[in-house]
Amino acid sequence: MDYDTQLQLQAYLDGELPERASRQLRVWLEEDPEAKALLAELENTRTLLTHYDEGILLPESREFFWSKIEREILAGRKPASRPGRLSVFPGLRYLVPAGSLAALVVATLLAVQGSGGSKGSEYEATLSDPGALTYRDYASGTTLVWLSYPAEHELADDEPSD
Amino acid sequence: MTECDHSSADDQVLVRAAQKGDMPAFETLVARHRDKLYARAYSMMRNEEEAIDLSQEAWVKGWQRLGQFQGESSFATWMTRIVINLCLDQLRRQKRHRAESIEAMAEESGGGGVERQMPVVTPNPTAGLERAELRQRIDRALNQLSYEHRTVLILHEFEEMEYKAIAKTMDCSIGTVMSRLFYARRKMAALLANLKKEDLT
Repeated sequence: MDYDTQLQLQAYLDGELPERASRQLRVWLEEDPEAKALLAELENTRTLLTHYDEGILLPESREFFWSKIEREILAGRKPASRPGRLSVFPGLRYLVPAGSLAALVVATLLAVQGSGGSKGSEYEATLSDPGALTYRDYASGTTLVWLSYPAEHELADDEPSD
Repeated sequence: MTECDHSSADDQVLVRAAQKGDMPAFETLVARHRDKLYARAYSMMRNEEEAIDLSQEAWVKGWQRLGQFQGESSFATWMTRIVINLCLDQLRRQKRHRAESIEAMAEESGGGGVERQMPVVTPNPTAGLERAELRQRIDRALNQLSYEHRTVLILHEFEEMEYKAIAKTMDCSIGTVMSRLFYARRKMAALLANLKKEDLT
């Protein structure tokens, strides 16, 4: 019996052989005791392994096993449902609107001061980054930028490395 | 959801709760399937400590990736795939750090070598053994297989994966899967027969 035939025999046992080939193999099996014996051996091994891992039990208590998992999860490597990045720092959800409000107040104050006659100054808020407000005073050569969110790298540090 | 609700809820309900951040729901899932995941890790790694570490790592990854779980397979199957992949990564790393046995290398390069010459083992050499005794013998035999042969055997026999799925998981051809599975089965049969003889003498 050549190697390909042996592998075919195995594929037959595993149900991976097409029906037509399986029929031919069954006929051949009836006439070849060597093939029949090999099939029986392969079947034996398969049967032996059937319930092998049912008896393998975790050698740690439920609480002890969970404690390490919980520690890793709480270390904040990544939340379960992958909401927005800001949820990694729950406090930030309150800081962002507060920051926006502060920027608006500053902008209003500057606008009131600016209306007193200081020409050559402007405010700029772009659509691409609504959280940023820029004030420029050309007379004094001053540029101020207010950001309503923290710097990018502070959030990126928490991304998982896998 | 209360603790009592958790223990009586089915996996789907618990997964949905965990996806919303309910950690006690996730803990119930861990408690429910921890033995299965550990058993899979242990059968592949053959080392208790590594199996514990890897199954814990799998649960952490499971939590992190819960958002990706669509329910196409059962939660237990999905988690088992995670632990299998972690074990394979670990075994590959270990392989890079140590030389494989001469026999394993010969089998890999030969494409059908020693297993063709092995005499057929008949009748069943383990007939009449108690389950615990049989498991000990299988343990000893599995320890003697290379990780590639053992993994193919485990994925096929325990996870009931088809050749194609095993090939994808192990990143090899279907022909290699068939060859490794054939070798692993024949080697197991021979080892179990030898163990029987050794015990008798």
